[in-house]
Amino acid sequence: MQTTASHSPSLAAARQAAPARTAGSVRHYGRYLYLAVNIAILIFLLAPIAIVVVFALNPTPFIQFPPVGVSLRWFEKFFASRDFMHALGFSLEVAVLTTIAATILGASAALALARGNLPGARLIVATMLSPLMLPAILTGLALFQTYVLLDVGRPTWGLVAGHTLVTLPYVVRTTLAVLHNFDTRLEEAAQNLGASPLRTFFEVTLPLIKPGVLAGAIFAFIVSFDQFPVSLFLVSPGNETLPVTLFNYLKFDLDGTIGAASVVSIVLAFVVVIGLDRTVGLRSYVKL
Amino acid sequence: MSSAAAQRPNGLALFILPSALLFALFFFLPIGLMALMSVLTGNPVVAPKVAFTTRHYARMVDDPFYLEVIWTTIRIGLVTTLVALAIGYPLAHWMARIKSRTGHALLLMAVLAPMLTGIVVRTFAWMTLLSDKGVVNQTLMSLGVIGQPLKLMYTETGIVVGLVHIYVPFMVLTLTGVIGRIDERLEQAAENLGASPLRAFLEVTLPLSLPGILAGSLLVFALAISAYVTPILLGGFQIMTLPILIYQQISANFNVGFAAALGIVLLMISLGLVVAYNRALGLVSGQRELQ
Repeated sequence: MQTTASHSPSLAAARQAAPARTAGSVRHYGRYLYLAVNIAILIFLLAPIAIVVVFALNPTPFIQFPPVGVSLRWFEKFFASRDFMHALGFSLEVAVLTTIAATILGASAALALARGNLPGARLIVATMLSPLMLPAILTGLALFQTYVLLDVGRPTWGLVAGHTLVTLPYVVRTTLAVLHNFDTRLEEAAQNLGASPLRTFFEVTLPLIKPGVLAGAIFAFIVSFDQFPVSLFLVSPGNETLPVTLFNYLKFDLDGTIGAASVVSIVLAFVVVIGLDRTVGLRSYVKL
Repeated sequence: MSSAAAQRPNGLALFILPSALLFALFFFLPIGLMALMSVLTGNPVVAPKVAFTTRHYARMVDDPFYLEVIWTTIRIGLVTTLVALAIGYPLAHWMARIKSRTGHALLLMAVLAPMLTGIVVRTFAWMTLLSDKGVVNQTLMSLGVIGQPLKLMYTETGIVVGLVHIYVPFMVLTLTGVIGRIDERLEQAAENLGASPLRAFLEVTLPLSLPGILAGSLLVFALAISAYVTPILLGGFQIMTLPILIYQQISANFNVGFAAALGIVLLMISLGLVVAYNRALGLVSGQRELQ
């Protein structure tokens, strides 16, 4: 009988278990099947992303498979297009403003929720996380109607407010996670040693919650940069975010420019995520 | 909590105010206005005489087309959820049980990579895969498996495939957390007592991960029924779902009242799901206080 590691159907376990033939081949087939199924699922997850890169580099002006060559013409077209460049710039602007707003609001809210002895804190947390579960298209629709009723037009601050609403939950969640994990006696010690509450905050609390706040900020940036449903209702023609421009382009054209634009936004997201992993570590912040 | 004795809010509680203001002005007020618009005959700012009406809701109930749209939305949501569960569970199980840290990190990256790619980009990827001259059809035809391209795009199947790809990471991340918390020794005990790995899984792991299955499914369903980009691009404007209908009412028909009523219906479905999700999460993590 195998007794230890082989019970966990993992890659490592499968490798360890391989020489032990006594356990019966059925068990091995089961483990190979388990791995095969999972690898198929991984292919399903990752192949579409690889395909986008292939089409971005394929020179034909329509979808063609297998690809006929490698060219950078779609990247040139993308970077030469005034519409795409304007959209990219506007998206970055909105994402930066959103990240600042969501980080400040979300981190202070998390602080109040974890340390403020607020009555009904659970309910408040549930409410603040609710934009994650409610259809973003509803947030867009409701804000659109409000701006129409109040006759404010479609200002950039209105779009940023909508984005802040849907990115705030990420900051609240990552900051709360850190606040719940650190020892409050550190703050008490600082105060006992004579630090004012304000000084305690800036010299003890803030450095300790920084990783959580930073992780939340990076999530906020990525979510805002990729945000579609809220933007769909709140952008004005000629002043659109990149996802909306891509969507409008996709409705009529299916050439490599979209692929190039996709690769640019994928690379941007990955740079941000690798930055996140390097600075604070991903693992503890992605638990849903 | 820092000082359990003092249950009264302290100065830090004030830090909630900016967010409270944001939610009041840009969340509760707009949703309230949407609810109001759904029972008004017109826009009270521009129209001179505006009265209360139930006609927007009556229109939905009376016209089988709108009921069909709601049913299509729910059907696509259900199928997407079931497929995402079937695909997400094995991967979540692997992630939760893999011993090597590097292996876990790689799997996590593989799950997060699609999440970070943006909905429009991923939908484009599926268009290049599923269209008549797309990768799947070209490959199958060059292999001689099929003579005619399969109609993969502009069908509900195509929409479901795209939605599953987009939302399966949420399922995996929810399930991984729950499966990871199940004590592996329970499975080992079952196997030591003579159960096959399959039976140990079916009778021990699967029942214990039920709360995660519930939470993940509710999350994916809620996301799938509110999707807009994927159904419209992969459905080629031929399959109508609730979010598509809502945007159409705003952009083409300028029927704000009816759009609001449709929005309220979608909101009600989603709110029901949020309550159920919180219940399910409560089952998942009874020990955690906040979040």
